[in-house]
Amino acid sequence: MILFPAIDLKNGQCVRLEQGDMARATVFNLDPAAQAQSFAAQGFEYLHVVDLDGAFAGKPMNAQAVEAMLKVIKMPVQLGGGIRDLATVEAWLAKGITRVIIGTAAVRDPAFVKEAAAKFPGRVAVGLDARDGKVAVEGWAETSTVTALEIAQRFEDAGVAAIIFTDIARDGLLKGLNLEATIALADSISIPVIASGGLASIEDIKAMLSPRAKKLAGAIAGRALYDGRVDPAAALELIRSARGV
Amino acid sequence: MSVAIIDYGSGNLHSAAKAFERAARSFENPDKVIVTRDPDAVFRADRIVLPGVGAFADCRKGLDSVDGMIEAMTEAVRVKARPFFGICVGMQLMATHGKENVTTDGLNWIGGDVEKIAPRDESLKIPHMGWNTLDVVREHPVLERLPLGPKGRHAYFVHSYHLNATNEADVLARADYGGPVTAMVGKDTAIGTQFHPEKSQRFGLALIANFLKWKP
Repeated sequence: MILFPAIDLKNGQCVRLEQGDMARATVFNLDPAAQAQSFAAQGFEYLHVVDLDGAFAGKPMNAQAVEAMLKVIKMPVQLGGGIRDLATVEAWLAKGITRVIIGTAAVRDPAFVKEAAAKFPGRVAVGLDARDGKVAVEGWAETSTVTALEIAQRFEDAGVAAIIFTDIARDGLLKGLNLEATIALADSISIPVIASGGLASIEDIKAMLSPRAKKLAGAIAGRALYDGRVDPAAALELIRSARGV
Repeated sequence: MSVAIIDYGSGNLHSAAKAFERAARSFENPDKVIVTRDPDAVFRADRIVLPGVGAFADCRKGLDSVDGMIEAMTEAVRVKARPFFGICVGMQLMATHGKENVTTDGLNWIGGDVEKIAPRDESLKIPHMGWNTLDVVREHPVLERLPLGPKGRHAYFVHSYHLNATNEADVLARADYGGPVTAMVGKDTAIGTQFHPEKSQRFGLALIANFLKWKP
């Protein structure tokens, strides 16, 4: 599994939200590039970045901060937030983003995701945000009665690299990953699934490494890394030893 | 596959249903066309059509008066990604606001307001009633292989207002009536026509057939 440290960008700064609520944003670092560098120095191998303003605006809003991060780190970066057309996908990939995460558009405009994934195989991921298993869209302000699985199934065989499944009810609250729902999703589709939302302690990392979670491709860690609840060195060591290298 | 035409008391449902049935018959497995005011049927349908004639505010009121219809439509289209076809005021309802006499909230699926058309040539009457060619603004699967442009086929319009879209990318086609008039919009899995495909003869049927074939 891969442990992705998360950087959420709002107004050019690194913030963490609680349950996706923009009004409950805590600034953790004024300098995203420095934060990215610090994650790289800690030994992380893949960075997860969300352009929060972009997710709400429907177009990239923190391009400068993203580019500043790309300049100072070598590790791959996956980026989501406001990516809703092919031109935006192409522009980000050309700038050095390893893979883009498509959220709202994956729900509303599946043809776009399929087209992007066909054009850039392995470089397009889908972000599905759910509350009680039901998909939420548009910066999490709206919830539906449609299940995340129903949406995920659209992209079977489309060349989508991963599904990043976020449990909004837990995100930023440090209550632990919703592994049951994430594993249930991973067991029902062939696309690799990454768990997100609520990662709180080394126990979550251990659970991710347990046999029942073997189909999960990784987990995203946010607040727990920023406030020290999860020690990066210990977490990464655990993952390395599980890989047997 | 099923096509639900929403009955909310403000459509020319009969001609719309006939046109969709006719277009469906050109396929090996014709879609089942139903006219319904049952939100569950709309939610379960494979494709959704929202017709509409009259004033924007009246149509909005009609739609609101069918319990659960807007929720069912919105989820089916905006979450389940079902193809949607808005016709005339049914298309205008996709906008942020209607500004016909009073300001009324639309569904806000397509950013922009529905405003009165203002032809530069004073001899051009309002409402705009008649046949116009369409200029394609953006290529779209539902426009494939249709004879459009100045020498193309004509579409039938009856309207005094049009959807002035905020994002040019949401406009698929315009007509010229003493200035540009939004004839067709499209975003994600939803399209809408200001003109009446059900009254636009062969061109209208070909457009509806493209819509029925479209797999977004």
